[in-house]
Amino acid sequence: MDPSTPLTRSPVISRRASRPFGRSSLGGYAFLAPAFVVLLAFLLIPAVWVFGLSLFRWDLIANNPTYVGLANFERLLLRDDLWWQAVRQTVYYTAVSVPAGMALGLLLALLLDTRLPGRHLLRGAVFAPYVTPFVATIVIWIWIFNPDYGVLNAALGALHLPRPGWTHSPDWIMPSIIIYGVWQHTGLNLVIYLAGLANIPAELQEAARVDGAGPWRVFWRITWPLLSPTTYFLLFINLIGSFKVVVPVYVFTGNTGGADHAAETIGFYLYQQAFAFFHAGYAGAISVAFFVIILAVTGIQMRFSARRVFYT
Amino acid sequence: MRRRLPGLGLRYLLAVPLAAAFLFPFYWMLVLSLSRRDAILSFPPNLWPQWQLQNYVEVWRFVNWPGLFANTVVTTAGRVVLVLVTSTLAGYAFASMRFAGKAAAFGLVLAVYMVPTEVTLVPNYITLSRLGWLDTYQVQFVPLAASVFGIFLMRQYFLTLPKDLWEAAQLDGCGHLRYLWSIAAPLARPALVTIALLQFIEGWNAFLWPLIVTATDRVRPLQVGLAAFSFTDSTRPELLAAGAFMTTLPILVVFLIAQRQLVGGIASTGIRG
Repeated sequence: MDPSTPLTRSPVISRRASRPFGRSSLGGYAFLAPAFVVLLAFLLIPAVWVFGLSLFRWDLIANNPTYVGLANFERLLLRDDLWWQAVRQTVYYTAVSVPAGMALGLLLALLLDTRLPGRHLLRGAVFAPYVTPFVATIVIWIWIFNPDYGVLNAALGALHLPRPGWTHSPDWIMPSIIIYGVWQHTGLNLVIYLAGLANIPAELQEAARVDGAGPWRVFWRITWPLLSPTTYFLLFINLIGSFKVVVPVYVFTGNTGGADHAAETIGFYLYQQAFAFFHAGYAGAISVAFFVIILAVTGIQMRFSARRVFYT
Repeated sequence: MRRRLPGLGLRYLLAVPLAAAFLFPFYWMLVLSLSRRDAILSFPPNLWPQWQLQNYVEVWRFVNWPGLFANTVVTTAGRVVLVLVTSTLAGYAFASMRFAGKAAAFGLVLAVYMVPTEVTLVPNYITLSRLGWLDTYQVQFVPLAASVFGIFLMRQYFLTLPKDLWEAAQLDGCGHLRYLWSIAAPLARPALVTIALLQFIEGWNAFLWPLIVTATDRVRPLQVGLAAFSFTDSTRPELLAAGAFMTTLPILVVFLIAQRQLVGGIASTGIRG
């Protein structure tokens, strides 16, 4: 019984107010328990434990953890060229695929206006890659990219354009994965931009048009500023998503990371250290570094969205 | 009457080729899967298949598809059911029950939301190998049996239910569990369907986690089997495409039936699962 509950309350109020405390406090935790056991055991506790793990040399096969202090971080940050290559390539992947996917998503959202006949079919076509399995679509893209027999180089050849080696070339493997990433991800940007556009009152654009503004000015003066909360949100989830890219690298390179490690990303390097080389402690240090990057991006996003949230 | 859309012709002129470009890899999957091998290895490529249907028969000789399908169904179903149960119970507790420490518990869920699953791969692998769960069915879905998004969505939905409903049920002697089971959860069906759809897609497409924690075809799901097939038999693109199409078909069917619900669910969160 809640000690602050006055004894002289009317029976109706006291029934409503007092029941939730006391006995049913246990009830609340019983309802939370199944979800919390899973979230704590497999997300929160591991996320804390990984910091401890990073202080050990720990071979997953021999299973002989040895405390080494910050040696893993010293090696990672000061002496591991492959790590820094993976960081650069992840930044490269992000810097190209995020703006490209967002711009394409916005363009399609503007084209596929709520009144366009056949819009559901066209939206579905763009969105379908987002829900289909990575592996099944990548094995097809590998053949589309095939330098000798692929349909992409056939088309480029027909247009008398240069025919790159795509996934077979260290210079072109990353652009190949970026093209796949944009194809796979644009549908998400499209549907979220469509939701953002639907929130903009049509009268605003109509009024500007009546005042003589052309479509170009209506977009830059009205639509684009009012879309800024959507753009920030998308920028955030796209950045996080692209920093995590692993599976396309794994499948496109056949679990090698590409010739000269040309397609290795942070996520793939983490996977490889842990589950190809079984360096659990070192992979823990990579996880911590990765975690710090993600938290930094999240922190920056939260500052920006706090400033911009007034539009919604 | 609404005004005709401005620039209708121009819109189609831009949107139709773009949409077609997005669909092309699916068309190409189908073409490759129905092509003769020598036709694939010719340049320029044939844009039309030779209707080589026996590719779909031959691919069965290389991979144990029924086994992989069964494994995928079991792990996906386990994931969908458990996430629905955990999300409904926790979402209900946050929306409709009052208990000490609720705000702190909700803060904990928000904190979990910030954790990228990638950083938990190594610790979870160690835990689950100690439990002796590696290469089993349950290792593929029990660690994923709760979804922060699922909890949020159910909570949002339960918050919209009128309070009178619970008070009336209470007067009839109904406890929280019975009220949830027979009144609140059925009313929250749209939210449950959204969660189930997203979890089905995540489960069916699962790749990285099962790749790490399974070792044999006995429990492996389709996408892991398909990747293994692509690494060992990369010289048979027509069979690979047939396999890819078979594993994608269930997703495409669900997508065609439930496109609007699925898109709505994903648009409201920006994430799958």
